[in-house]
Amino acid sequence: MRRRDLLKGACALGAAPLANSLLARPALAADTTVRWWYHFDNPQNSPAELVARFESQNPGIKVQAEPIPWGGGNDYQTRLFAALVAGNGPDCAMVRLSWAARFQQMKALEPLDTALAAWPGRADISDDIWKINAGPDGKRYYLPLQYVVVYLYYRADLVEAAGLKPPTGFEEFRNVAKALTKDGISGYGMRGGAGGFDHWGPFALGGGASFEKGGMLTEKALAANRRFVDLARQDKVVPASAPTDSFRQIVDAFKAGRTAMTIHHVGSAKEIVDALGDKVSAVPVPRAPDGKGWTYFGDESNAVFAASKVKEAAFRWISFLSTGENNADLNKLTGQLPVASSARANWTGHPKRFVDASSASLPIAGSLPDHPKTPDFIARVWPANMQRALLGEISSDDMMKAIEQLYHG
Amino acid sequence: MSNAAIAVDRRRVTWTPFLFLAPALAVTTAIVVYPVIQTIWLSFSNYVIYAPDDQRFVGLANFRTMLGDEVFWISLWHSAIWIVGVVSLQFLLGLATALLLNQSFWWRGLARALVVIPWALPSVIIGLMWTWMYDFNTGVINDALIRLGLLSGPVAWLARPDTALYAIMLALIWQGFPFFAVTILSGLQTVPAELYEAAEVDGATRWQKLTKVTLPSIADVIATALLLRTIWVANSLDVILVTTGGGPGYATHTLPLYAFLRAYSGMEFGYGAALALVLTVILFAAVFIYVRRASGEAAR
Amino acid sequence: MIDRRSRLARIAQVEIPILAIIGFALAPYLWMILTSIKPARELAEWPVHYLPREATLDHYRELITRTSFAGNLSNSLIIACGAALAGLAVSIPAGYAFSRFRFGGRRLLMTGFLAINMFPIVLLIIPLFLLMRALGLLDTYLGVIAGHSTFAIPFAIWMLTSYFNTIPRELDEAATIDGASRLQAIRLIILPLVLPGVATAGIYIFITSWNEYLFAMMLSGEAVRTVTVALQLFIGEFTIQWGLLTAGGTLIALPVTLLFLLVQKRLVGGLTAGAVKS
Repeated sequence: MRRRDLLKGACALGAAPLANSLLARPALAADTTVRWWYHFDNPQNSPAELVARFESQNPGIKVQAEPIPWGGGNDYQTRLFAALVAGNGPDCAMVRLSWAARFQQMKALEPLDTALAAWPGRADISDDIWKINAGPDGKRYYLPLQYVVVYLYYRADLVEAAGLKPPTGFEEFRNVAKALTKDGISGYGMRGGAGGFDHWGPFALGGGASFEKGGMLTEKALAANRRFVDLARQDKVVPASAPTDSFRQIVDAFKAGRTAMTIHHVGSAKEIVDALGDKVSAVPVPRAPDGKGWTYFGDESNAVFAASKVKEAAFRWISFLSTGENNADLNKLTGQLPVASSARANWTGHPKRFVDASSASLPIAGSLPDHPKTPDFIARVWPANMQRALLGEISSDDMMKAIEQLYHG
Repeated sequence: MSNAAIAVDRRRVTWTPFLFLAPALAVTTAIVVYPVIQTIWLSFSNYVIYAPDDQRFVGLANFRTMLGDEVFWISLWHSAIWIVGVVSLQFLLGLATALLLNQSFWWRGLARALVVIPWALPSVIIGLMWTWMYDFNTGVINDALIRLGLLSGPVAWLARPDTALYAIMLALIWQGFPFFAVTILSGLQTVPAELYEAAEVDGATRWQKLTKVTLPSIADVIATALLLRTIWVANSLDVILVTTGGGPGYATHTLPLYAFLRAYSGMEFGYGAALALVLTVILFAAVFIYVRRASGEAAR
Repeated sequence: MIDRRSRLARIAQVEIPILAIIGFALAPYLWMILTSIKPARELAEWPVHYLPREATLDHYRELITRTSFAGNLSNSLIIACGAALAGLAVSIPAGYAFSRFRFGGRRLLMTGFLAINMFPIVLLIIPLFLLMRALGLLDTYLGVIAGHSTFAIPFAIWMLTSYFNTIPRELDEAATIDGASRLQAIRLIILPLVLPGVATAGIYIFITSWNEYLFAMMLSGEAVRTVTVALQLFIGEFTIQWGLLTAGGTLIALPVTLLFLLVQKRLVGGLTAGAVKS
């Protein structure tokens, strides 16, 4: 019996390293270098520590992390696309959903389905997020890294003083905005400038418009948009600068106490709380009477490029970044929310009420369609037409027609 | 004797000027010609960056589309206002500055150095600072004007289609007048002193010295500076892009900005190149006319 | 030129207007400096507070210690000086040629050089990127210098041509009569006289390169990143780091101002006094 035990012991001892070497990933050739392009809003935060941690856990792989200027998205996109066309693109990079369709047409991305299936961290990311990040052809190209969800900031003190409650529906929202528009304050800091589709979306898309063929021209859609434009033109609850206000302007105006509500996400939570403290709180964006809603899911993912010669190493790096503790540390650097649920559990990166508002918004969170025209919608067609509608140069119905024309000709 | 010397000179040196020009030609050709030709070629195609396989030669189709494109005409009109307004005011302010900086006063060196600052800042900083200064809710321009009693309430300078373009033009005038100041100032330094002395002997007043000696002597420098600045201003889009992105609506769309938006956000490079080409052709024609007239006068 | 005005007249007619113009030129810059010494929470207020309640140098400290700004400043300096030197080396002979010679194709060539600048540079940026990649010049000093100087050269040539034109031809002839060869005439007589113009052209190329963003962004990676690109990094997707941005913006204007302070002495006039007896 002792010999059998000894044998068992010996087998166990011998089997362990054998099993390890069979199950472990094969060692890579000496010193692979992975080039990763990224952009942080705070460039003085460096990913050097994460790189060092990864390199010590993965000897033989070196990560070359290169920050690329964002330039409103344009510069980053141009650099990336130009580099891919020229053939000297990075191995992996931070990417946005709105570019997915274009990458697809260029066949620039590497499908990650098999690698993801084998990745233990997959289960740690919620299904809501996976759903939003699916590729246009059903394959998975993006590995979520971090996110923000757009919600409604409101001045809790002013709302309470007016004897109201934070709005949950469109009509309520309108009433609260009207009640709070006085004494030089505007009830709602509308964002008509760059990126403002995340204000328009909840009202128009949440109110029944869609990007399907004809989806912008249904009665419901036209009425929803009219209601949104009327906030400015009829109800006059927005400041005069709304047509060109972008995130900097709406956040500054809200901080300065010149608007009572505005729509943004957790990225601005810290500075708003610095200025307003307990006077500010947040709820999910208002919903339509039928209970449907839409809010913008600000995505950020990593992708591996088809032209890369070190795809496996690249995947190891990006999956490292989306895993538990690493994901949390990354988001401490970027100021966004970690996708890894384990990291979110004890998240102290932002004041709790804003993290809660973000989580509560996930069920209605969505992104813009995976379509090559979407970046054009974001940067050119939506701003120009929204602004013209807000100024009365075109009717709100004309604006919807222009969007329909962009997508469906 | 000097006339004969010149005549001999002219016949002998047919290759010398090209020797002097060779370095410039070499560098320019090597770096620039290929991209320019490629872009011109693209304006005759429907090249879209993310669909390179679909690229086709379409001849003048882009230009035909342009004629029916209302945004093109709006942008062209704005470009005209933009160029005339910005260049003329930059010039006038720069001329005044140069004339003043040409006088002697004890802190002249410091004044000359400080006047350069607007020109030294990158466009993105200028765009952001002026956007913030014009801000409706927290901007210092509104605040100062209200405090001075010139306004009763804040004005949304950048959100109103009737003020947006002019507000940005002010920022450009601020940015660019040092160019004229510096260029004209050096021109003033090359005016020979005897000309002023001769005028003094003839009993000229300050104003007459200015109009009869100074301005004619630097006429060529002024004309060149105006020409160069016009080309630069015509093509500039950085500051507009950063402040309003072309909005509200199309109120601050100029032709290069529109070309940029179609080329980069729409990734329709073919159409963007065509739009840019139109501006280039207009500028080229203007410059060519100027050069012929200027050479015509010099030959006399 | 003898200035016969009284001191009071001079102050009223020269110094006060100049003060007003300098005030106009500096006001936004001063606003930027004030912003850069305010802590972040003082930045969005209405009515506006002009002076900081708690001035702080934190932004500058963070800029210099936690970002690569200092290195970027030196990159910009190297590139701008390189572009100015390369540009002048090429433009001075060209300007002389256009000014002093009359030859076939002269007008076309002059206009042709300018044609390069008539294109919005943004549209040339991707073909240029591909070209630089093919030449292996991406992320090198030479690549960015080549890009900057090439686009500054046409302007510099035109400026130098017009400055050469202000030097009367008689001087060339006077020198030739005195026995000098053409090159000697250029070196000993013409160049010293056109030095203000050369200095101006050099400054122009330097400043154009210094505050240029597009080429620097596309053609450089991290190794030769310029200060304009570094500043752009502070403008993120969701935030603008006003403190770092304005601190950087304040610093970025200083080298140019200092340079100009040194060079403006070269703009002293009256060098032609006595050179030509009319």
